[in-house]
Amino acid sequence: MLKHHHSPPAKPERVLILGASGFIARDLARHLAEEKIEHRTIASSEIDFLQPQSVAQLQSAIGQGDAVVLASGITPDKGRDVGTLMKNLTMAQNVVAALEAAPCAHLVYISSDAVYDWRENLIRETSVRQPAELYGLTHVVREQILTLVAAKAKIPLCIFCPCAIYGAGDTHNSYGPNRFLRGAIKDRMIALFGRGEETRDHIYIQDVSRLIALCLLYRSTGVINAVSGTALTFDELALMIAKIVGPDVKIAYLPRKAPITHRHFDVTERLVAFPSYVSTPLDEGLKASFLQLTALRQG
Amino acid sequence: MIGFVGLSHLGLNYSLATAAKGFDVVAYDPDAMLTARCAAGEFPIEEPGFGELFAQHRDRIRYTSDETALAECELVFYSLDVRTNDRNESDPGPLSALIRATAPKLSPGTIAVVLSQVAPGYTRQLRMELREVSAADFYYQVETLIFGRAVERAMQPERFIVGARDPSRPLPAQLQAWHASFRCPVLVMRLESAELAKIAINFFLVSSVTTTNMLAEVCEQVGADWGEIVPALQLDKRIGPHAYLSPGLGIAGGNLERDLVTVQSLAAKYGTEAGIIAAWQTNSHHRRDWALRRVHELVLAGSRATAKSFSLWGLAYKQDTHSLKNSPAISLAEALAPFRKSAYDPQVKSLERPIPNLSIAPSALEACLGADALLVMTPWSEFSTVALGDIRREMRGHVIIDPFGVLDGRACHAAGFSYHTLGS
Repeated sequence: MLKHHHSPPAKPERVLILGASGFIARDLARHLAEEKIEHRTIASSEIDFLQPQSVAQLQSAIGQGDAVVLASGITPDKGRDVGTLMKNLTMAQNVVAALEAAPCAHLVYISSDAVYDWRENLIRETSVRQPAELYGLTHVVREQILTLVAAKAKIPLCIFCPCAIYGAGDTHNSYGPNRFLRGAIKDRMIALFGRGEETRDHIYIQDVSRLIALCLLYRSTGVINAVSGTALTFDELALMIAKIVGPDVKIAYLPRKAPITHRHFDVTERLVAFPSYVSTPLDEGLKASFLQLTALRQG
Repeated sequence: MIGFVGLSHLGLNYSLATAAKGFDVVAYDPDAMLTARCAAGEFPIEEPGFGELFAQHRDRIRYTSDETALAECELVFYSLDVRTNDRNESDPGPLSALIRATAPKLSPGTIAVVLSQVAPGYTRQLRMELREVSAADFYYQVETLIFGRAVERAMQPERFIVGARDPSRPLPAQLQAWHASFRCPVLVMRLESAELAKIAINFFLVSSVTTTNMLAEVCEQVGADWGEIVPALQLDKRIGPHAYLSPGLGIAGGNLERDLVTVQSLAAKYGTEAGIIAAWQTNSHHRRDWALRRVHELVLAGSRATAKSFSLWGLAYKQDTHSLKNSPAISLAEALAPFRKSAYDPQVKSLERPIPNLSIAPSALEACLGADALLVMTPWSEFSTVALGDIRREMRGHVIIDPFGVLDGRACHAAGFSYHTLGS
């Protein structure tokens, strides 16, 4: 259960975002700027957490009153093998070494819903962490390392687990809203596996940023799943996107490659933690993403 | 003439029972070898009394693989057992294929009844699919055969549970005539309810069996005898004929939760399996927050305004008490901390621990003043006497969340409320 150390909420002295070039980090920086919350982003070009010298570099960058958002990591589109896992753990090792030497006021770790057991439904924050892939295992191990180190260093830790995030700034193009939107705009076609029967939850990038900001403002500790709470099938999603993008968009049904799985989330913990937070309706988020993508294409 | 399509255990028993009730029966299966064996009195199943019953009534049942024989039937039962794989997943494919192949052969006016073990929604979806090719109207009927007692159960059912597209209309005459021959109650409900009723019956069986197994194992460790306890349970009205069947907001009040923890402790001490208790607790917490999820879905979603206001009727964990122990109403009020709330409870007039933005109103009606939603969190009987028109005038919004169904749902709808209760 999420516990708030600041109630009423209070702005952190500064937010240090590690992993500045990622999808989440970029939008979070945008949101914090809008909310006039002081922040600094650190990209891998400035501090490369794979290198040993990153410990000292980060140590000197962290201020005592800083809230650190750890969004740095090698994403699955760049590698799903053991080597990638080990690199991600090396990055965590160096970040942890810096935090042990220079504890911050609050730590928010951006994890993933890939940590959960896909066979379990309904997923909630207390669900068993039993990932099906190495990417999920990476986050599970990092979560455990950070939990132990943060407890020892007395750093309040919030573990933030988003489901599939959509929005114009996404660079992964994984199967789901982002790929469907791009396919619909560029090729006037959305390709689904099977009949797109799988149900999934999708969250708009700006909702992710708002939720992280709430965790920062309340100096929350514990685990929170960043999800909308509404799951729909890929087919329903494709139809929604086709309706937004244009009547000429076709949906192609390709041979299924994997068994049908479903994933639903229980959002009760979030409702209790942040009663005033309201998710962006999916159709609104998709329309906004479509407009942004169209604008980007038009230069 | 009454037809049965699909001659597995289910179809063989029901078709013979129907013949035994005096009807002429066509027992169809596309497997010609099977129907030939059946016609010769060689059946692929063994059930007490089956052979004798067949010997007595074989002149009224015709086993055939000729699907055109179904055109003679005014009532056709689809009776192929749905198989399951190693993971216990159902495969309705063979049943669907059988129905798709034979439904177009049925004569206009024929009534089709699915007896097979299908998931909720199956029969309605099937009817939609077959609209173009079959004029038959489709019903669903729950089967409750038990292996080893199938003939007895088919001949003497305790009741029939029938799903219909429109349960308010009388069942077709041919189906009524078939039911009448069994002289037992007939419960008619919507298709999905009947399909789910079958699952619900099994769920209750599973929960009884697993509870018994778990406590019996504890008995072995603490020196108790489950056999001594059983008569006590059978005479307990809460477990016997008056078992709790009404939906609620999980367990509350403290006594039940305590006993769960006690048994968890015993199980931990003696190494017995009691994981099901954690499942009950998780489910109970989940149900406790039902109203909170409905509030967000119905009132707060899509609106970023924090100026919403709520009326809470009832704070005690149940009616006729002032106890707040594990009260779902208190959990809800705390989870809605930023919003203005006005609460009324006939016995709770103050709180030991204050809840932000919560005031206690002197009456149920005054608690409704300016509310966007009314939440009836404790089923006090006096709440049902408050005039809906008065509530409507006091409230700003029109949402009523009434988990226990204290208010008359239809009257609420008629009065212009958006009414929400558990179980529907």
